[in-house]
Amino acid sequence: MEISSNGAETQPKFALPVDSEHKATEFRLFSVAAPHMRAFHLSWVSFFACFVSTFAAPPLLPIIRDNLNLTATDIGNAGIASVSGAVFARLAMGTACDLFGPRLASASLILLTAPVVFFTSIASSPVSFLLVRFFTGFSLATFVSTQFWMSSMFSAPVVGTANGVAGGWGNLGGGATQLIMPLVFGLIRDIGAVKFTAWRIAFFIPALFQTLSAFAILLFGQDLPDGNYKRLQKSGDKQKDKFSRVFYHGITNYRGWILALTYGYCFGVELTIDNIIAEYFYDRFNLKLHTAGIIAASFGLANIISRPGGGMLSDAMGKRFGMRGRLWTLWTVQTLGGVFCIILGQVGSLSASVAVMIIFSFFVQAACGLTFGVVPFVSRRSLGVISGMTGGGGNVGAVVTQLIFFKGSRYSKETGITLMGIMIICCSLPLFLIYFPQWGGMFCGPSSDKTATEEDYYMSEWSSNEKDKGLHEASLKFADNSRRERGRSVHSQTLPSNATPPANV
Amino acid sequence: MAARLLVLSSILTFSCFAEICYGAVSFSSLERTLVVTASHRQGLLIAGEDKITVAWGLNQSFPAGTDSTYRTIKVQLCYAPISQVDRAWRKTEDHLSKDKTCLFKIVEKPYSNTNETLEWTIERDVPTATFFVRAYALDQHNNEVAYGQNTDAKKTSNLFDIQAITGRHASLDIASVCFSAFSVVSLIGFFFAEKRKGGKGQQ
Repeated sequence: MEISSNGAETQPKFALPVDSEHKATEFRLFSVAAPHMRAFHLSWVSFFACFVSTFAAPPLLPIIRDNLNLTATDIGNAGIASVSGAVFARLAMGTACDLFGPRLASASLILLTAPVVFFTSIASSPVSFLLVRFFTGFSLATFVSTQFWMSSMFSAPVVGTANGVAGGWGNLGGGATQLIMPLVFGLIRDIGAVKFTAWRIAFFIPALFQTLSAFAILLFGQDLPDGNYKRLQKSGDKQKDKFSRVFYHGITNYRGWILALTYGYCFGVELTIDNIIAEYFYDRFNLKLHTAGIIAASFGLANIISRPGGGMLSDAMGKRFGMRGRLWTLWTVQTLGGVFCIILGQVGSLSASVAVMIIFSFFVQAACGLTFGVVPFVSRRSLGVISGMTGGGGNVGAVVTQLIFFKGSRYSKETGITLMGIMIICCSLPLFLIYFPQWGGMFCGPSSDKTATEEDYYMSEWSSNEKDKGLHEASLKFADNSRRERGRSVHSQTLPSNATPPANV
Repeated sequence: MAARLLVLSSILTFSCFAEICYGAVSFSSLERTLVVTASHRQGLLIAGEDKITVAWGLNQSFPAGTDSTYRTIKVQLCYAPISQVDRAWRKTEDHLSKDKTCLFKIVEKPYSNTNETLEWTIERDVPTATFFVRAYALDQHNNEVAYGQNTDAKKTSNLFDIQAITGRHASLDIASVCFSAFSVVSLIGFFFAEKRKGGKGQQ
């Protein structure tokens, strides 16, 4: 346990070692110590609950489609609706996190979307079904608050890991629900309910789980290692920021847009596969629905190690090679994901398909984890907006891909999958364009300009007026802590990290 | 290598034939030797409440001994073409093992040479759709060998509509509304509590 050398008053004691911003520099999975690991467990469990709710309908569709008299078009539209709601919700959530803190932002969203999950039980037509899936999908915006919260609690050496594990274990919900919902439905039906009532009762389970997780966040979570936004703003330890400035600095950062596009071709692809893969195996290989469902679930369940693996790989590469290593690894893994996607569409035998699908799932989900090893460094002031843009871009990718390749009968599913693989490779190329003056990009090293330091990069988000008021202090600390993104060989040559930066204030 | 390939391909071909022997009967190969009728009250039938009276028997214009292989009779509720549009999970396929036209069993019993009737209450898991009734005669290996249906070959006459139960109950509706209201109210309540705690000053 370290005590920060900045500040004269007694520092609060933390269970984990922390940096100057009190962010944890270690990630201990089996601890629930407040505030860091507790925040981790609260965020991944609540995100998991939202994923379970959003994808609770697909495994029960054989029952629901008969009860509500749905056609294949209705089902397809509802599937697209379920992932399109989150596009703007994620951006809004990012801004809300910047302004109000992840605790209130995520708990509010979860408690406001829980009613929709309850209302799924009383859906009675294709239109009402589409509406409940659309609004339930908004809850996937908790992804942004999860990543934001982890980026606020964990320092550069472990931020990729924390983001990756929280995101991956949350995404797990999409796979787990394919197993949970049929089980719950079966239990209720065996107790005596008729099929068309049993599925309705089954939806109370994800809804209640969601509600309880939100209560847990409100009761046990806190926004930052030092406390909640409101209290810190009152005591002057955290400045309240302006929405327009936060938003502006987020959307004018071109790196956020590039990451939004590329995330659409790892996470977006993951969501698309979640929606189509069971049917693909069922139709192409004539499997039983139950078997196809288990294969579909295993795609989502790979998230338990693949996305965290991506995050850890990002941190390991960042430690050795700095930001350039993170970028190169992201591009390589995502492109390989595209290659395996092309292969998946081409193989014709069941066992080869399952094997390729599992390899493909590892690469595509690891790419998601690697993306959020880069996102925390794009902006400090507008971290939420950047996270929201990237997250929203993921959902846009899912919507676009499903519309182009998987709606109607223009392409067979296997052709669609191959074409999707080609699109992944093409849409990963823009990563070459990401450049940080202080760290470099994939092809260029860091700028030798005197004004190309971490401080300059993060201070460029604040005007001199704002700096006069001292609003930029947190960004300054972050800039200092992010110096390790230069990589191991350069890191030892940099300024001692505890010195107060020169009077730029 | 060539020998292994030969063995593998012969196993695959053999298993295909075995499948044909053991159950991949095609509908077009069946003879329509049974006469099936279904009668019901006028208007839209309600699942769980209304009844259909189904009658079936061998068509006497066929020579005696046609039904020598029939051991079991299976009477099913089948989707009319209009209810199969844009619903691939109800698709009609010639191979009976893949056919999804008839998904609801009315009755399955040992075959007897006499005409039989049955009054069947429409079960509560039948969806809203247009239906007809079909009976399959099965031999001792449980393969279909003949059929009969109450509609014509194009499945356009004698169809009837069934209205499914909603599956909703007043108690479910009330529970949904109550829990939803609770979520929203608790969120508002929590905000108030936070504001009041903040108003009391720093802790």
